[in-house]
Amino acid sequence: MLSIKNLTASINGTPVLKGIDLEIKAGEIHAIMGPNGSGKSTLGKVLVGHPAYEVTGGTVTFEGKNLFDLEPDVRARAGLFMGFQHPIEVPGVSNAAFLRLAYNKKAEAEGRDELDPLEFDDFIHEKIKLVSMKEAFLDRSLNEGFSGGEKKRNEILQMAVLEPKLAILDELDSGLDIDALRVLGDAVNKLMRPDHALLVITHFPRILETIRPQFVHVLSGGRILKQGGPGLAIELEERGYDWVVEEAAPGGHR
Amino acid sequence: MTVAAPSSLLADLLSGPRPTEWEAPRLAAEARLAGRELPTPRDKGWQYTDLASLSRTPFTPAPEATADISGDLLPEMVGTRQVFVNGRYAPHASCVSALPPGLRFLPLTLASEACHCLGTLAPETARSPFEDLNTARFEDGALILVPKNLRATLPLHLLFVTRVEHPSAVFPRVLIRLEAGAELSLVEEHTGQGPYLTCPVVEIQVGEGAILRHERIQRDHATAVHMTTLRATVAQGGQYHSRTLTFGARLSRQEPSVRLAEGAEATLDGLALLGDGQVADTHSFLHHAEPHGTSHQLHTCVVDGQARAVFNGQIRVAPDAQGTDAQQKSRNLLLSGTARVDTEPQLEIYADDVKCTHGAAVGQLDPDEIFYLQSRGLDLEAARNLLTYGFAADLLERIPVASLRRALRRLVLARTHASALGDLA
Repeated sequence: MLSIKNLTASINGTPVLKGIDLEIKAGEIHAIMGPNGSGKSTLGKVLVGHPAYEVTGGTVTFEGKNLFDLEPDVRARAGLFMGFQHPIEVPGVSNAAFLRLAYNKKAEAEGRDELDPLEFDDFIHEKIKLVSMKEAFLDRSLNEGFSGGEKKRNEILQMAVLEPKLAILDELDSGLDIDALRVLGDAVNKLMRPDHALLVITHFPRILETIRPQFVHVLSGGRILKQGGPGLAIELEERGYDWVVEEAAPGGHR
Repeated sequence: MTVAAPSSLLADLLSGPRPTEWEAPRLAAEARLAGRELPTPRDKGWQYTDLASLSRTPFTPAPEATADISGDLLPEMVGTRQVFVNGRYAPHASCVSALPPGLRFLPLTLASEACHCLGTLAPETARSPFEDLNTARFEDGALILVPKNLRATLPLHLLFVTRVEHPSAVFPRVLIRLEAGAELSLVEEHTGQGPYLTCPVVEIQVGEGAILRHERIQRDHATAVHMTTLRATVAQGGQYHSRTLTFGARLSRQEPSVRLAEGAEATLDGLALLGDGQVADTHSFLHHAEPHGTSHQLHTCVVDGQARAVFNGQIRVAPDAQGTDAQQKSRNLLLSGTARVDTEPQLEIYADDVKCTHGAAVGQLDPDEIFYLQSRGLDLEAARNLLTYGFAADLLERIPVASLRRALRRLVLARTHASALGDLA
C-alpha cells in the first residue's frame, strides 16, 4: 500500500529525515516510536504533503502512485489521512458543515452519491456514537475552543467519516485521559479493515496497549534505528530510548 | 468648463424646501453648515476616506417612491416592522400588529413624543456635516420607546429602502429610548437601488439596567454612498450591544459613539466585507465616563479587489472611570495584493485602575489552516473560500434572529465565493 524508499526531507534548509525506508501492506498496523525531535511527526506530515517541509530525496508510492505527484487534497481523496497532534481551529465554520463537505468531496471523487444535510445527519449520528462525542460539538465551529481531548476526538470522527485506506495518527494519546484514550483506541480498531492500514506515531507506548501494532520502528535523528515486533514497544517502555540510540551509534555494539 | 466648489453638495442639498416640523433644530443645523465644506483628506479623521467623488455628484433630495419589500421580510418580524422608502414612511409595507402593548414603534411624523426626543437622547459629540444635513432636511424616521421594565420578546425590524434613478439624497432619522429595566432587540437594515446618498442619524438612550441589542445591516446599492452617525448613552447598569455589518455602498462611513455610565456595558462589533473599489470607514468612540464600565469591540474586515477598509477605534477612559474593562480587537483579512486596510486604536486613558487591551492583525489566510482543510480532501480553492467565509461568518453566529442569521450566512457565502461549497448555512 505504502512504500517509502530512502526518503529525505528538510525544513527551512535543515535536514530532518535522513533516509527512511518503510513498507506498509494492507491489513498491517505499524507504530513509529522515538524520542522528541526524532522526526516522527515530520514523517507523517511529509507523507500528507505539509507545505513547510521540502522533500529532498527518495521516493514514496501509495497504492502504486508517486505520492509526491499528488496535491495534499488529492492524497486525502485517494485515501490517505493524518490525525494531527495539534489540529487547527477554524472559527465560523460549523463542524457538521465541514464534515459533510469533506465527505462529499471524497464521495464525488469516488463517483458515489453526495449526501444532503438530512442524509448526512443520519450518517454522522452513527459516527459520533463511535467516538462518544456529544452532538453539541457538531454545531460548534471546527475545533474552536475544543479542549485537547475534544480535538483528538474530532480527528478520529473525521477519520470515521472519511474511512481512509491508510490513517496516520500522530500522538493520539496527548491530551487524552485513560478512558478517552480507550474509547478512541477502540474506535480506531473498529474502523480498521483488512484492506486498510494504520501508522501510529507515538512517544509513549501506552496507546499501543489498545491499538496493537505488528511492527514497531524506532526513529531517532531522522533515521529508523531499530525495527521489531510488538515486544519492542514493551522493551522501550521498560528501558527508554537511550539504549537504542547508543546501540546504533558508530562503535556501539550490535 | 467650471469645476464645482467642494461645498456645493451641502449648498445644493440645503437649497430645497425646509420641512415644516422641528424648525428650531433645523435652523440651528443650517447655521452650523453655513460656509462649511465637506471634509477633505487634510482634515483629521478623514485622511483615508476621500469624499471628492461625492462633492462632484449633483445630488438632489430623493423623490417619493414605492418599493417591493417582499424579499426583505424576516418571518420572526412580519408583525413588528416599519418600512421607510426614500426617507418617507411606507404604511402599506409596514405592519406592527404584533407589537406588545405599551411599546411605541412608529414614524416620527406621527409621534407626538418625537419633539422631546430629537437631539436630546444622547450627548452631542463633534458633529459631522452629514449629521447636520440630516437634522436640517430629514423627512421622517422611526421612534422607538420601550416603557419601564417591558421586555419585548419579538425583535423589531426597521427597514430603510432607497430607490432612485438619478443621484439623490435621503436622511433617515431614528430615535430610540429604553426606560429603566426595558429590553429590546432591533434589526436596522439599509438597502436600495441606484446612485443615492444616505445619511442616517441614530440617537439612542438606554436607561438604567435596560438592554438593547442592535443588529445593523448596511447592504446598500453598489453605487450608493452611506454615512451614518450613531450616538448612544447608556445609563447605570444598562447594556448596549451592537453589531454593524457592512456589505454594500461604494463609499461608507460609520461613526458610532457610545457613552457609558457606571457599571454599564457596551459591545460595538463590526464586519466589513468589501470587494471591487469599495471604501468602508469606521470611526468609533467609546467613552467610559464613569467607573466599572465594560466594553468589547471586535472589528473584522475582509477586503478583496482594490477595496479599502479603515478602522479608527477611539476609547476614552475618564479620570473617574476606575475599574473600567475595555477590550478592542481589529482583525483583517486581505484577499488581494491591491486591497488595503488602515487600522489604528486610539486609547485615551485618564484613570489608573483600568484594564484596557487592544490588538490589530492584518494578514492573509493562514497556510496551516489551508493545509488542514486540504488534508481532509478540500481542494485549494475550496479551502481558501471556506476559511474566508469562516473569518467573516464568525461574527454572525451570535445574531439572535435565526432567519436573519441564515440569510446573512448565505450573503457571506456568496460574497466569499463559498456558495459552491453547498449549503453551509
